[in-house]
Amino acid sequence: MNTGTRRRFLATSLAALLAGTAGAVLYPLLRYLAPRRTDTAQQAVRIPLAEIPDGTAKFFDFEGKPAVLVSSKGKLACLSAVCTHLGCIVQWQKDREEFRCPCHGGRFAIDGTVVSGPPPRPLARLPFTVANGSVTVG
Amino acid sequence: MIRSTIRHIALAALILCLASSIAIGAVVVDTAAKPPATVCLACHGSQTGPGGIPVKPWQGSVHAAGGIGCQDCHGGDPKDAVNAMSPARGFLGVPAEQGIPAFCGRCHVGILEDYLKSAHGRALGKGGPTCVTCHGSHEVQKVTLEIINEKRCSACHTYERAARIKAAMQEVERNLVRIDGEITRLKQEGVDTDAWGKQLFAVRNRYHRLFHNVDVALVRKESAAIRGELDKLDDFLSRTDEERYRRKIAGAFAVGGFLVAALLAHLLAKSYD
Amino acid sequence: MNPLQKLHTWIDVRIGIDALLKKELTGYLLPRNINAWYSLGSILLVLFSIQVLTGILLLVYYVPDAEKAFQSVTFIMNQVPFGWLFRTCHAVGSNLMILALFGHLLSVLFMGSYKSPREFNWLSGFVLFNLVMGISLTGYLLPWSQLSFWATTVATNSVGVVPVIGEQLVEFLRGAKSVGPPTLSRFFVLHVVVIPATIAGMIGLHLFLLKRTGVSLPPFGLSDTRNAWRGEQYRYEDHPDGIPFFPNFALRDLSSILLYLALFGTVVFFLPNLFFPAQAFVPADPFQTPDRIKPEWYFLPNYQTLRILPSELLGLAVQGAAMTFLALLPFIDRGTERHPLKRPLFLTCCICGILTFVGLMIWGHYS
Repeated sequence: MNTGTRRRFLATSLAALLAGTAGAVLYPLLRYLAPRRTDTAQQAVRIPLAEIPDGTAKFFDFEGKPAVLVSSKGKLACLSAVCTHLGCIVQWQKDREEFRCPCHGGRFAIDGTVVSGPPPRPLARLPFTVANGSVTVG
Repeated sequence: MIRSTIRHIALAALILCLASSIAIGAVVVDTAAKPPATVCLACHGSQTGPGGIPVKPWQGSVHAAGGIGCQDCHGGDPKDAVNAMSPARGFLGVPAEQGIPAFCGRCHVGILEDYLKSAHGRALGKGGPTCVTCHGSHEVQKVTLEIINEKRCSACHTYERAARIKAAMQEVERNLVRIDGEITRLKQEGVDTDAWGKQLFAVRNRYHRLFHNVDVALVRKESAAIRGELDKLDDFLSRTDEERYRRKIAGAFAVGGFLVAALLAHLLAKSYD
Repeated sequence: MNPLQKLHTWIDVRIGIDALLKKELTGYLLPRNINAWYSLGSILLVLFSIQVLTGILLLVYYVPDAEKAFQSVTFIMNQVPFGWLFRTCHAVGSNLMILALFGHLLSVLFMGSYKSPREFNWLSGFVLFNLVMGISLTGYLLPWSQLSFWATTVATNSVGVVPVIGEQLVEFLRGAKSVGPPTLSRFFVLHVVVIPATIAGMIGLHLFLLKRTGVSLPPFGLSDTRNAWRGEQYRYEDHPDGIPFFPNFALRDLSSILLYLALFGTVVFFLPNLFFPAQAFVPADPFQTPDRIKPEWYFLPNYQTLRILPSELLGLAVQGAAMTFLALLPFIDRGTERHPLKRPLFLTCCICGILTFVGLMIWGHYS
């Protein structure tokens, strides 16, 4: 084998091995940095009814994102608290019986529908059940 | 020339100084701090009569290793020399023989319960054993099955019954010791064994407590239940070991790859020379 | 011209990359008798890069708070995917870096490369050596284990023997009278920002000086091994009949680096506990000193010196003298001879020094 062929063979093999090493470093690196898939998916949240007097709203974490449970005129509603416009968290306005987003003034009714402002979609409704004096979301 | 010689001599002298100063053995600075001492140890530690007897045995005990001091059993004030042994500060003194189980039972509640129900407990005050008979008073060690032996148990009756209980406990005890060793080994390799260590501790206590009933049938029944717990621990151990084995295989490939690459680079370099 | 050639020309007419590559790589000539010891510098560079990379990764999950530090490291070792790998690389890398540093220092000593005109290089290297010791000391505390806590207590205690200001110095270093949360905070800042940035700057200076003066000529395989430098004016030391850096020596460098990485991998995967005694996995307890706590192996000679000399001040003074001597070596040893076997006094002192150092280390380990 002449020098030229030998050099090409060695160079190619070396390059391949080094590329393999780079890949072998990249995989653990990406897995290390990837957000952790915790068990927040499908994790039910239980809230005692006593914590939501009439006219008030309670904010809590559900499946990794803020949600709100509100009691108004004897009715309960459970919605995602993330405004559908640009992702800010909505606030409950007790006197107006509606949600208001502090970022751009979007307003939502208690059932999540958009009353006014820039939000394009209603707030997502979350399933819940009431039993034994507490609300179970999810 | 002269300057260079002087410099060389100075150099040699400095080296000699360093070497000889090391040869001068001197006071070794003791850098290990001692744990905070109680007034109990301050007095009793320097007594030569009966008052000083418990100190050394306690220092080598499992109680001392776990941070249990004189005041934890005997009460009193460990910080105040004047009132250290005052009943007003909760000092209990030395328990009478019949009061020993209750004395130890303030912490070892479950064992006291089992003991009192057993033949040993019923013989308390009538020549029967107390906690101290088998475990000692101050020299208490971490329990092994060897605490049940012919010399100790045949003091009052034949060894045959104790031997049967001991035999029934051998297998589980062997596994407990083995798993304990494995968990210690893994801990030393950086594995988070906290939760499993605590579980083993609980199982071990639950098991060792059994003996105090001195009831072979009960021991056999509980052994079966505990075996289930130990299986879970064994499962964790084998999963961890498997994972570590896989890491070693990956490591072998990595090291091998580097060596081959080093060889290739070397040969490639040679081809250019 | 194909697109790649067009791109190449576009770049070249703007920054003259061809001329640059020729000057730095293919046209950069190294002495023919260059040996493998000369690769230790690039190995150290690779090592430092690995430490920075793994350090950054650890920073993603590590919490520099005394209550949470140990638990965050346990989390990295057990829960984070491949966390064990990056943490072990970082810990092993720090120890091997010091080993490689010693090798680099000794090879420069033996080949007389510290002599004129390379005094600046030696001094910057000496500063780098101290900085690496400093970064190792500060990093050691961060896991907040029993080992971390008490080794740091012992190490910071030794500063207290400086006369007059000793006690204040210790308190300043620790941020409090004894090692605690303030110590962790300042050691964290030092370890993550201050010292790495300084090291990077010093490496830049070190490499600039190397390029400016020119690579030294190894004294092996030559008939005349004396230093040719006359010192009447600045002159770049070139090697006109030498071998090109690229691809010849670069490949030899690469081969040495890969060999080192094989060693690194062996320790990381098969001997991870070489640098982790049992106390490294027990959380720090300020009220309970473990038995026989000692600093890491590279501080054992210092530690043992302090222990055996009659007064700690003398111990510190002796070490200070030794380090000063090492720093000023190019000014003390002005002989022109560079081959180690032709410098008997130097060789004797060097070997005595190494034996003393290693002897103290072993003694420190077993006592």
